[in-house]
Amino acid sequence: MLFQIAWRNIWRNKARSLVVISSIIIGVWAGIFILSFSWGMYKNNIDESVYIQLSHIQIHHPTFKEENDSKYTITNTDEKMKQFQADNRIASVSSRVISPGMITSPTTASGVKIYGINPSSEVTQIRLNEYVSQGAYFDSGKENEMLIGEKLAKKLKVKLKSKVVLTFTNTKSEIISAAFRIGGIYRSKNISLDEVNVYVQQKHLQELLELKPSESNEIAILVKDEKELDTIKNFSVGVVPNGKIEDWKELSPELEMIIESFNLYTYIISGIILLALTFGIINTMLMSVLERIRELGMLMAIGLNKRKIFIMIMLETFYITLIGTPIGLLTGWLTVTILGRTGINLSMFSEGLASYGFSSMIYPALDHDKYVIIVGMCIITGILSAIYPAYKALQLNPSEAIRKI
Amino acid sequence: MAQTIIDAHNVSKTFNPKTVPVHAVQNVHVHIEEGEFVALVGPSGSGKSTLLNMMGGLDEPTAGSVIIDGVEITELSENKLIDFRLHNIGFVFQSFNLIPVLTAKENVGFVLQLQHMPKAEREKRVLTLLEEVGLEDKINSKPGELSGGQQQRVAVARALASKPKIILADEPTANLDSKSAANLLDIMAKLNKEEKITFLFSTHDQRVIKKARRVITLVDGKVASDVQQIPS
Ligand SMILES: Nc1ncnc2c1ncn2[C@@H]1O[C@H](COP(=O)(O)OP(=O)(O)O)[C@@H](O)[C@H]1O
Ligand SMILES: [Mg+2]
Repeated sequence: MLFQIAWRNIWRNKARSLVVISSIIIGVWAGIFILSFSWGMYKNNIDESVYIQLSHIQIHHPTFKEENDSKYTITNTDEKMKQFQADNRIASVSSRVISPGMITSPTTASGVKIYGINPSSEVTQIRLNEYVSQGAYFDSGKENEMLIGEKLAKKLKVKLKSKVVLTFTNTKSEIISAAFRIGGIYRSKNISLDEVNVYVQQKHLQELLELKPSESNEIAILVKDEKELDTIKNFSVGVVPNGKIEDWKELSPELEMIIESFNLYTYIISGIILLALTFGIINTMLMSVLERIRELGMLMAIGLNKRKIFIMIMLETFYITLIGTPIGLLTGWLTVTILGRTGINLSMFSEGLASYGFSSMIYPALDHDKYVIIVGMCIITGILSAIYPAYKALQLNPSEAIRKI
Repeated sequence: MAQTIIDAHNVSKTFNPKTVPVHAVQNVHVHIEEGEFVALVGPSGSGKSTLLNMMGGLDEPTAGSVIIDGVEITELSENKLIDFRLHNIGFVFQSFNLIPVLTAKENVGFVLQLQHMPKAEREKRVLTLLEEVGLEDKINSKPGELSGGQQQRVAVARALASKPKIILADEPTANLDSKSAANLLDIMAKLNKEEKITFLFSTHDQRVIKKARRVITLVDGKVASDVQQIPS
């Protein structure tokens, strides 16, 4: 009966209840939208890091990264590559030979990281070919062809077809200098890396470093479904038992931090919105309690004890949140699903974004666990905002209330 | 001899004792026996409501005690008191008697539900009660759809529902036209006679006073007179 009375009570002042319900709907929707939009933006950056730079998994010799020396290699690379390629959960795999070195042009010199790559495998791995802005992507067939970043080219004051010299230490600790010709200039989304990473043919670099053809310094793997990441990591241990196997979160702790901080961000944003809603709900419910002092007095007089009065007012508030929250969640979820597919084109608002490495298309997205956080916070809001008006109603003195009759 | 059902013993009530004391009720002794039909009369501000509220356990006396059917209600804890009211005392107020979102039937049934009466029994009793007050054709109307007189009759039916020993009515006819007022009083008198329920009602309406069999007059919070009469 209390449930029924409470339910009917909220419809006594339809307009007022609908305003509160709408504000809950809009609040929850807005929270979800803001969060999914920011997550879409973050996710975009993370994906770009993963897909054009890190890959999902990288495998190295355990001391390679510390020492930064190409003599710490993964052996039998070809055989291992074949095992990875045979696995249909893996989208792409590439091996690289890497050496720190110095690039010298007629005018100046700069420190670089030399990647010896198989050009064709990097097409699917980091889509390097898509970023070539001048020249071509390893099409001369010459072993000394080289791809450098636009920024580095500017710094070295070199152009396409210019000759440059790479100097580095080989595995025998001898200093090697070799001449290369710039066959292409690229411009990626990460301009700071453009200044450092230069790409050459793997075989040629191997020879210069005096590595065996089966030796490499890095194996990068892209998985098809990120949910398989951990299984593939385990699988990789079997393939490269003494390698150091790291996923993108371990490779780039700052990405991991972005993800972690987004949890906090979710709490803060939904907390602020729900706090504002709490005040709105409490205000309305207090108004409705104060309007009904005489009625509440009468209820106490005819035998409704304080616990029941408390429950009744709690229920009224709870019903209001209970109506608003699911609708807000649903509209929010629908918005995210639809916009997540169509994307939001920001280029009409801001042309500058792209130059900061942001894509102008944002695909809002929100993980399920964020919805769980929001639902949890809504429940807390519902309870918190229900308690105060109900508590206020308890403080009514029936005789005082009745005297007003 | 009939049993004492209400025993207000030397009851006083002072509002705002520390600031501007108002002695609303002073040293009142009232004995009411089972089955009586009593009017509490007096000018506005004479303490009628205050006295009724204390007898119903809605208000605590500053001094003295109220004993209802042998139970000293002035000693009961708040929740015990609410429970005592639920089972022993029916209230009818001047207005705001009913729960606006419930129909006449539900309003009357509500108290029975609070007493955990089974549904079938409850429905039957509610219908009987609404018939007794002549509202069998209004059982599904909400208070807003009923006239003032009809609302008060539902309130009487509701007050009766829990089979209380006494019904306290504070100016039940104040908002009614004289025809509805007479009608309500007739119903109350009939219930008093047939169901042996004790009625104590305050009023300052002469036509209502005439229907009582005993008239207690309050002046300035004190009993000025207490007389038996033959109702007309
Ligand atoms: N809560 C209160 N605070 C202060 N004075 C009150 C309060 N309630 C009633 N009174 C005073 O007590 C006196 C008796 O009031 P009441 O019992 O309502 O009289 P009646 O019902 O006969 O009109 C009046 O003078 C009234 O002003
Ligand atoms: Mg009064």
